[in-house]
Amino acid sequence: MSITGLVIHAVPKNTASVQAAIEALDGAEVHKVTDDGRLVVTVDNPDDGKAAQVFDSFRTIAGVLSTSLVYTHFEEDHGEGEHVS
Amino acid sequence: MSITRRDFIKTQAALAAATAAGTTLSGASVAKAAIGEDNIRWDKGVCRFCGTGCGVLVGTKQGRVVATQGDPDAPVNKGLNCIKGYFLSKIMYGQDRITKPLLRKTNGVYDKEGDFEEVSWDEAFDVMAQKWKEALKKKGPTSVGMFGSGQWTIWEGYAASKFMKAGMRSNNIDPNARHCMASAVGAFMRAFGIDEPMGCYDDLEHADAFVLWGANMAEMHPILWSRLTDTRLTKPGCEVHVLSTFEHRCFELADNGMIFTPQTDLAIANYIANYIIQNKAYNQDFIDKHVNFNATTTDIGYGLRPEHPLQKAAKNPNKGKFNKVSFDEYAALVSEYTLEKASEMSGVPADKLEKLAKVYADPNKKVTSYWTMGFNQHTRGVWVNGLLYNIHLLMGKISEPGNSPFSLTGQPSACGTAREVGTFAHRLPADLVVMKEAHRDFAEKVWNLPKGTIPPKPGYHAVLQNRMLKDGKLNAYWVQCNNNMQAAPNMNEEGYPGYRNPENFIAVSDPYPTVTAMAADLILPTAMWMEKEGAYGNAERRTQFWRQQVDAPGESKSDMWQVMEFSKRFKIEEVWPEELLALKPEHRGKTMYEVLFANGHTNRFPLQEITDNAGNVYNNHESKDFGFYVQKGLFEEYREFQLNGPKKGHEMAPFDAYHNARGLRWPVLDGKETLWRFREGYDKHVEAGKDVQFYGKPDGRAAIIFAPYEPAAESPDDEYNLWLSTGRVLEHWHSGSMTRRVPELYRAYPDAKIYMHPDDAHDRGLKRGQEVKVQTRRGEVTTRVETRGRNKPPRGLVFMPWFDAGQLVNKLTLDATDPLSKETDYKKCACRVVRA
Repeated sequence: MSITGLVIHAVPKNTASVQAAIEALDGAEVHKVTDDGRLVVTVDNPDDGKAAQVFDSFRTIAGVLSTSLVYTHFEEDHGEGEHVS
Repeated sequence: MSITRRDFIKTQAALAAATAAGTTLSGASVAKAAIGEDNIRWDKGVCRFCGTGCGVLVGTKQGRVVATQGDPDAPVNKGLNCIKGYFLSKIMYGQDRITKPLLRKTNGVYDKEGDFEEVSWDEAFDVMAQKWKEALKKKGPTSVGMFGSGQWTIWEGYAASKFMKAGMRSNNIDPNARHCMASAVGAFMRAFGIDEPMGCYDDLEHADAFVLWGANMAEMHPILWSRLTDTRLTKPGCEVHVLSTFEHRCFELADNGMIFTPQTDLAIANYIANYIIQNKAYNQDFIDKHVNFNATTTDIGYGLRPEHPLQKAAKNPNKGKFNKVSFDEYAALVSEYTLEKASEMSGVPADKLEKLAKVYADPNKKVTSYWTMGFNQHTRGVWVNGLLYNIHLLMGKISEPGNSPFSLTGQPSACGTAREVGTFAHRLPADLVVMKEAHRDFAEKVWNLPKGTIPPKPGYHAVLQNRMLKDGKLNAYWVQCNNNMQAAPNMNEEGYPGYRNPENFIAVSDPYPTVTAMAADLILPTAMWMEKEGAYGNAERRTQFWRQQVDAPGESKSDMWQVMEFSKRFKIEEVWPEELLALKPEHRGKTMYEVLFANGHTNRFPLQEITDNAGNVYNNHESKDFGFYVQKGLFEEYREFQLNGPKKGHEMAPFDAYHNARGLRWPVLDGKETLWRFREGYDKHVEAGKDVQFYGKPDGRAAIIFAPYEPAAESPDDEYNLWLSTGRVLEHWHSGSMTRRVPELYRAYPDAKIYMHPDDAHDRGLKRGQEVKVQTRRGEVTTRVETRGRNKPPRGLVFMPWFDAGQLVNKLTLDATDPLSKETDYKKCACRVVRA
């Protein structure tokens, strides 16, 4: 399992189309869009080593100015230290 | 994995991202995540990679780093990470970690031609000490040497420097920072008499215009680039000018992108100075009070072996002397560099050059200039760094918010360790140098050594070390925390023959079997990054500490542990002559370890439990083994150089302050850091009423130093008809020994390739993706052609990254260096590209 939190900076007038493009990607979720064009995004991937390519694909979305990674969590998917509430 | 847990982690990720974006999320899940009930221990750390020095929060669970996040409280990156920083938690867990010492053996005994076998630390150090003692006995202290790193922690570099310069009495210690920052240091010392930038990263928000000279910040300093991008997009009128020898990602944001012919940055910089003077735009008051004018010695050669024809042809090889001239004489010297001439030489259209000159010459525009390896890895690197200072000094655009000539750094502690601690062949801590008797005297006093212990002659610098290994003059050699076989120039003709010379014994300390380790005779397993308590100093003079988060695998030990433990193998009588011992008879009969480290001073802080403010307890493997708080002892001793030494301006805070702060920018005076140096109101060292004072110089004035254009060491010709430039890519850091072991980064950019203009490819009958041979006078490498993508070279130039151990591009490069800084020019040699 690999879960990422990132901030994508987009041209403010394009945030709607950028949001749609991001949400079309597997495992990507937009949590908030700010007025100045910042999108709070998480990506939930299987830990298959492809995460870096997913992030690079954000760059190719029209209107995206920059992509900054903030949070990462890698864990073997075998239930160790599992937390159930 | 339960769904709830997945949601929980996702909420944490979203929360961290929201904080970094300066916004908030709402909802019950957030409140739950904020409690942090995941059994992860979080502590502050510093990124392992570039010189930006981003703060990261390191999450540890059951003895393993499982998560990292950009530290929202870190002023450098404000919660953001780049792609390499994002995968930090994986760099320690490559499958091929070396966990035991490995020695080349045949039939159970050391043999340089043997195969690597696991040995104990005792056996490893026994054999290594025997080789060092043999070399010392046969040829003296100049036959032993060490090649260190701008990735060493501060105390690792300090311990190694003391071990070599005081213990071994050899100045043959140099860091890999020689390949990256030496030209910057040379120019700082010449212009200001004190090292490192006067400004800080806060300039990123204050400037009205940014100029990049040979720096691809978008890929190499992505977090600083994101701050710059923010300013460009939010501040009305903000401009970005980018100069490079090929088009790269920064050009996407550039208002004025300029591709110039290699080496002509010298002409462009002089043209700007000329423009400022012709238009009388210079700041007369600033010049009158704070500057003097000089011209440097010319025709200085190319730092090659003395018998090389280019060295023989030079009139003043290696001469750095500069002489005072008047303003009028300086104006006459730059007057040759007209717009027409600069445009013709550089290939940059005149209107673009003039637009650039106008930005600098506009008294109402605050300009910050950034540069990295394009300026530093340059056979006239010291000169060209200086030419940029000339421009800022003519305008007085320096040492204040937004007006900042800023030399960016490549390594996490090139500043903090290599430069500030002084692990160069000619340096001592806090800007002192071995050539000055007063400086040696002071160091010997702090270290309680007899007068005359530290040799006055600079040792072998990086490139010279490889030459001396090959020539059999340097015989016992220790490489720590770098991959110099892959990184150093001209490995076919210098590096590899040097390591494999039968007269030599090469030890390499590394966590992984790098190209360098595999070329050695002994490999020592090394604790890395969060496996030890550490400290780095970044490019804005910010010193940052971290605690040991996890234990290193197997028998791995930190570089500092290795140096200190190895020093126990020497009786001081085996290293120092009788006449020296007679001056300090109390050292008789002691080991080098007892003289240097367990001496009642360096070991004065007792072992203590390391805790954070939340009461979490951390290990400290070196202190436990040696029985005292090693890091604190070495750091506080290092501070004596800053507080009592002959050169002011390097003061740092006491050790404990850094474990609480998110770094502090030196000089730290009365507990306060300094953001802009040399200007009253910001820097307490400036005398009241002086306004600006360049106190590194005796007269308080910065030196404007004229230097002309001189050609590169090797230029394309009929036989080798392309410029070859080497460098990095975003996904990999330096030689890739860490990033290539992170599956995501490896997959994102698995193999090096050569970037080429489509017409150059077409002319050679080559297609994108085709296998080719890149050849120079020194060797050849097989790679594939790339005619699209992030880098777009102009016709006549190719670019190839050097991270790939399977494509050793430094078989091709020339070991020409700046004759003043001894830094290699990796950006310019002549090659040809043919079908494989």
